[in-house]
Amino acid sequence: MTEKRIPHTDLRERGGVYAPARDEAGDVALTEAPPAESLVLEYKNFRLSPKAFFFPQTQTLLRFKGGKAEEPSPPDQETFLFGVRPCDARALLALDEVFLEGDQHDPYYARLREKTVVIVLACTRPMSSCFCASVGGGPSDGAGADVLAVGLEADLLVRAQTPRGEELLSSVADLLADATPDAVKEAEERIRAAEDQIAPVNVDNSAQRLRDGYDSPLWEAVSQKCLGCGTCSFLCPTCHCFDITDEARGDTVRRVRTWDCCAYPLFTLHASGHNPRRTPKERWRQRVMHKFRYAVENFDRLFCVGCGRCIRNCPASMDLRTALNEVGA
Amino acid sequence: MTPSHEIEARLREAAEELLRDKKVDLFLGYEKASLPFRTSPAFLTMPEEARRLAWNPFCTANLAVYLPRLFKAPADAREAKAASPPPAVGVVLKGCDIRSAVALIQERQVPREKLVIVGVACPGMADRRKAEKALGEREALGAGEDAEGNVRAVVEDGTEVILLREEIVAGACLECRSPTPSIHDVLIGTPVEARDPGAARRQTDEFESKTLGARWAHLQETLSKCIRCNACRQACPMCYCKECLLDQTLPRWVGTSTDISDVTIYHLVRAFHTAGRCTECGACARACPMGIDTRLLVRKVSQEVEDLYGYRPGEAIDAKPPLSAFAMDDSQDFLTEP
Amino acid sequence: MMSQTQNTQATVSDKDWEPKIVAFLCNWCSYAGADLAGVSRIQYPHNVRVIRVPCSGRVNPAFLLRALQNGADGVLVSGCHPGDCHYISGNLVARRKFALLKELLQYAGIEPQRVQFTWVSASEGGRFAAVVEKVVEDVRKLGPNDKLVKVL
Repeated sequence: MTEKRIPHTDLRERGGVYAPARDEAGDVALTEAPPAESLVLEYKNFRLSPKAFFFPQTQTLLRFKGGKAEEPSPPDQETFLFGVRPCDARALLALDEVFLEGDQHDPYYARLREKTVVIVLACTRPMSSCFCASVGGGPSDGAGADVLAVGLEADLLVRAQTPRGEELLSSVADLLADATPDAVKEAEERIRAAEDQIAPVNVDNSAQRLRDGYDSPLWEAVSQKCLGCGTCSFLCPTCHCFDITDEARGDTVRRVRTWDCCAYPLFTLHASGHNPRRTPKERWRQRVMHKFRYAVENFDRLFCVGCGRCIRNCPASMDLRTALNEVGA
Repeated sequence: MTPSHEIEARLREAAEELLRDKKVDLFLGYEKASLPFRTSPAFLTMPEEARRLAWNPFCTANLAVYLPRLFKAPADAREAKAASPPPAVGVVLKGCDIRSAVALIQERQVPREKLVIVGVACPGMADRRKAEKALGEREALGAGEDAEGNVRAVVEDGTEVILLREEIVAGACLECRSPTPSIHDVLIGTPVEARDPGAARRQTDEFESKTLGARWAHLQETLSKCIRCNACRQACPMCYCKECLLDQTLPRWVGTSTDISDVTIYHLVRAFHTAGRCTECGACARACPMGIDTRLLVRKVSQEVEDLYGYRPGEAIDAKPPLSAFAMDDSQDFLTEP
Repeated sequence: MMSQTQNTQATVSDKDWEPKIVAFLCNWCSYAGADLAGVSRIQYPHNVRVIRVPCSGRVNPAFLLRALQNGADGVLVSGCHPGDCHYISGNLVARRKFALLKELLQYAGIEPQRVQFTWVSASEGGRFAAVVEKVVEDVRKLGPNDKLVKVL
């Protein structure tokens, strides 16, 4: 690609366009149709993962009004997300396992997934909390992306990852030129520099080690500080637990889905009053197990993409890398 | 201001002694976290673990939040039989934290006789987010404190950046009126005076000088970022109810959605339920992943409690919580007279 | 992007709108007072929907907020005069709660006349009617409530 100009002005005719820009707090976030001059391409990652574009925190599933059911209309326009990081795009594959594969086919998720085009911007400056490379990803991983882009000194190197990505690139072909060998080399160097900075985490054999370490005293020690605040799950790009509530007033009922979190004390509370995960130890252990053992056993996939948000934002500064490095060691 | 390394040394001594002499079964303090600009709560049970304790400008957590769960009454007779006796707990508490602990004692959630309160006179803690913002897109790979209490961060390219303490002090600390613990078993650090006792009132006065509509608009805008994660509530030492009203489903008082109506009611109820109990420690704002200043509403409620009922939580262990008490001459200016 | 709901605000034409006031009345004094107003054939606005509670002290601030969320334009809470509470001090504890709640809601930007508190005794049928008149008029002047209302 010859220019850093992101063709979002053209894309806006096709649908919603989101690109990185600074919000009022000064943080870089996926913003709707930012003016070109406010685009930011130098950022680590967004505070919130883009999973809300596919699995919103609050989503009306159904409405009953005057005795008749009304389904919310599916999105008619496409959505283009530019600047998603490789880890967050990879996380979509985990969400696909839950919402699309097997017996479940979640139409609400599916509709958004079909209509959203993901353009990933590779990372050149990882954070000390990043560990994508240890969990099957990497700073230029294209999994989950429709288009993979790498920022160079003066240009943007792009490559289609899916047929939809190809379609997108051909629709803006007038902005593109074939990549020169120098450009490809520059991209590879930048990526390699990024890879070198990512500290490894021991995820080898995680399923087996977690199976063996189920009763380890490590869990009690490490989970004592957990406040059950929900920050980790809500910011995590692969966490997908939800609650469904029927809200009624008069002859109107709204069935709404909202995010839930396994770290909440009430998450597994039975109507009888019994709680199989009564203390932070059981809940925190479950959280690690779900991502690094049960997901592997069920889907042959880790449900962690190493984005580090849980580590950076935990108010008790908990770090699940400690558990991964130490359990069954 | 007592240098941090001195406070750290005294904390380690105190913890080691208390654990060695078996005066406490558990000692709660702060230790270094895996990332800079943070500490993590440390739960120590052996005297040799005392050397894990740290004291630096990021000892921000209110450790009183962990106390109720340590003294939870058994749920039923069977649990009561199997339960071990409540532990003796040593805990490091700053001025604001101690007032939370006192409020918990008043509400019978924590027995005073089981606590060894190690109070630390606090000069004001640093706000991680302010520090990160000052670095821009650079990331701190390490951080230390200099003799003046400033934070020295080492960023990716190896350069050192000085973050002046005064510029990264947390919002809650800027408004703090009780930096020196009033109630304690051990006091570490020379007593510190409140830097600006009128700061909180100026905030509420300024907000109240806006029109009604402007206040509502500001509130809605502030709360629009809320993702209903409940971190503010979970981090608050005063929110220990087994089942929070806001989680109740029969009946459902407020939905779990991010509809601004649900979000606003969540925050209004939390502000109200911490009336006369909130000690302005800022744990809620610190925990919020979206960076919302959740102290906006409760700051006003705390002031009203002080103005109307002359009460400030956490100052006297035997004081009666204001909303469990009444006086025949309580103000009723707010009533409607037809 | 966090929220994907289709919220449509229902609009009522100005001339049709009547304020909807939810009134929490304590059983022993205020509810009896309201009853007396009825028995005495005292006319007062019909805009009030009464919820009987054993004592004004039973009223949880969440009730008021829920009423507003459900579309009430105003809320009235009425109990026994201080000193006369059937449960001795329920209204005295409530008095503190209500004072703080009123301040909090006003601080948050909600019009203070939307949430009102009063004491009405069992013999004050006329006073009850006068209170309702006042509250309804106050709320009528403010217009329909759009704050805290949740549209499903």
